[in-house]
Amino acid sequence: MTGKAQQRIGRRFFVILMVLGGALALILAPDSARGVRSVTDFLGRRVVIPDEPRRVVALAPSITEIVYALEQESRLAGVTRFSDYPAAATRLPKVGSYVHLDLERIVALRPDLCIAVKDGNPKVVIDRLMQLNIPVFAVNPTNLETVIQAVEHIGRLLNTEQKAALIAADMRARIEHVRQQVAEVERRPRVFFQIGLAPIVSVGSATFIHELIETAGGENVARGDVPYPRFSREQVIGLAPDVIIITSMARSAIFERVKAEWARWKHMPAARNNRIIVQESNLFDRPSPRLVQGLELLVKLIHPQLFGGSP
Amino acid sequence: MTAPLHATLKRLWIVSAVLLVFFVLTMLAGLCAGSSDTGVRRVISVLVGGEAADPMLATIIWRIRLPRVLLAAMVGAALSMGGLVFQALLRNPLAEPYILGISGGAAIGAIIGILMGFARFPGVGLMAFVGSMATLALLLLMTSGRSVLKKDSLLLSGVMVNAFCSALIMFLVSITQDARLHNIIFWLMGDMGMTDLRQAGFLALILAPCFVLFFWLSNAMNLLTMGSETALAIGINVKAVSLVLLTATSLMISAAVSHSGLIGFVGLVMPHLLRLVLGPDHRVLVPASILGGGGYMVLCDLLARTLPRQGEMPAGVVTALIGAPLFIYLLKRTKS
Repeated sequence: MTGKAQQRIGRRFFVILMVLGGALALILAPDSARGVRSVTDFLGRRVVIPDEPRRVVALAPSITEIVYALEQESRLAGVTRFSDYPAAATRLPKVGSYVHLDLERIVALRPDLCIAVKDGNPKVVIDRLMQLNIPVFAVNPTNLETVIQAVEHIGRLLNTEQKAALIAADMRARIEHVRQQVAEVERRPRVFFQIGLAPIVSVGSATFIHELIETAGGENVARGDVPYPRFSREQVIGLAPDVIIITSMARSAIFERVKAEWARWKHMPAARNNRIIVQESNLFDRPSPRLVQGLELLVKLIHPQLFGGSP
Repeated sequence: MTAPLHATLKRLWIVSAVLLVFFVLTMLAGLCAGSSDTGVRRVISVLVGGEAADPMLATIIWRIRLPRVLLAAMVGAALSMGGLVFQALLRNPLAEPYILGISGGAAIGAIIGILMGFARFPGVGLMAFVGSMATLALLLLMTSGRSVLKKDSLLLSGVMVNAFCSALIMFLVSITQDARLHNIIFWLMGDMGMTDLRQAGFLALILAPCFVLFFWLSNAMNLLTMGSETALAIGINVKAVSLVLLTATSLMISAAVSHSGLIGFVGLVMPHLLRLVLGPDHRVLVPASILGGGGYMVLCDLLARTLPRQGEMPAGVVTALIGAPLFIYLLKRTKS
């Protein structure tokens, strides 16, 4: 008993000491050092950011989604033009689109932190913002694992490591589940994933859509060194894909026309078996937690037989 | 030209003063307008009261809008001067760096520079200069020895060089598949939003000596417009003067293009308007083109960033919408 009581007193004393010490450190710390920390971002730069960022501008739709997933939207001061998920994000102030950012609007929002993506946001904008004393932290999600890392990093920036860890664990578990689902399939269907209509553009090996296709038990027929290779119509037909997935930005008649166009080439397995699918692009091209949803959707599209459908 | 020197000087001062007022007013308008909603009154309070009045707005005005307005002014002045020199030298009222393909040549050089990973200054600028000199040489080679058809053949050759340059640009853009593509396309469309003061300073360092040179040679330009025989008879070294003028112009154009992308017709609109009002004396036209062209470009850029409800449009769109119809009108008038 006495041992336990002593322990408890000891622990309390320790806590009090810590609090006092912390308070003392805050009082003694010079103004410039108070409330900021230095972090290294994915461009390898040291960035000094506030301990508690209160006015965050998300420079890409994926960043907006991550901040909302972390339930830190109260910190958001601005988002980019196509930040449409969740719907509440559309009501936040806009700072241009993520490739064509509006410097002036960003500055006018008085942000204390901007979160950028390395591929997408032009480097010159990041440099200009840093010149204007606005800290920019760049993440670099290039595959599923680095998307998860981006979530964890942003979680750390916004002091919500626990929530970030939960999301990361959930994403990892769901990816693992998909891997198990497709481990048993004998045949990997050939998938042509079309992200551009004219010219016809697909995805090479260095993209996360490629990784999603391969993880979902498909074979990306456009794999290769070129990140976003272009194709002619006869090249696609020659590749004899089993599944064609066309991603679209919006519900539009154009995509149905493209689908009908592919369906004419009956010696292509995808056309013969009626496996040409138009899908909203957001689940596949945004490196956010929803990417796992995209992966789960892809498994259903590539291996319908696993879910009781006909192959 | 027959007017006595002191009369010319007086005219020069008056014209410069009037255009300087126009120029300063456009600069102020450029500083007042922007994508963030800041009222004119607040802008004035910062301009008058200094940074303390509103630090955030001060940052926007001095570090985002000012570099952009300065860049637009310098690009406009350079392009407008380029038009004036070409029109005098080639004795063709429709000559203009964009229509002749000189800007296109500079753009090709700049794109190659960007693809090779050079810095904006001096690498890309130097490549642009090489490109513009190459197209200029090509153009002069194509039109030499055909004095009878010179007026039309020069323009036609220029249009062809320009078409060829556009095709080459499309080719370079279509073989580029990575992130540099966005850079190239935005730069080509004339995106001046990301300029900082350092870049504007570099451009000024190149343009200022050119402007001085043109002013110094403005009387020679007057004589050249009367024809090379007359100029020779008066004692002008036509070849040397032409070479210096052409090189300086193409340096100036390539510097402007490597900063602002392809912006056309500025060199047509401003010199014509000024000649209409001020007459043909280049001693007055050179400073007038610099101030007038600068102000005109600032206005076009202002329209480009305030007309669309969201985002911006390239400044080159505005200048072409104004300039192309004028070109057609002038072409019709010179024919009849």
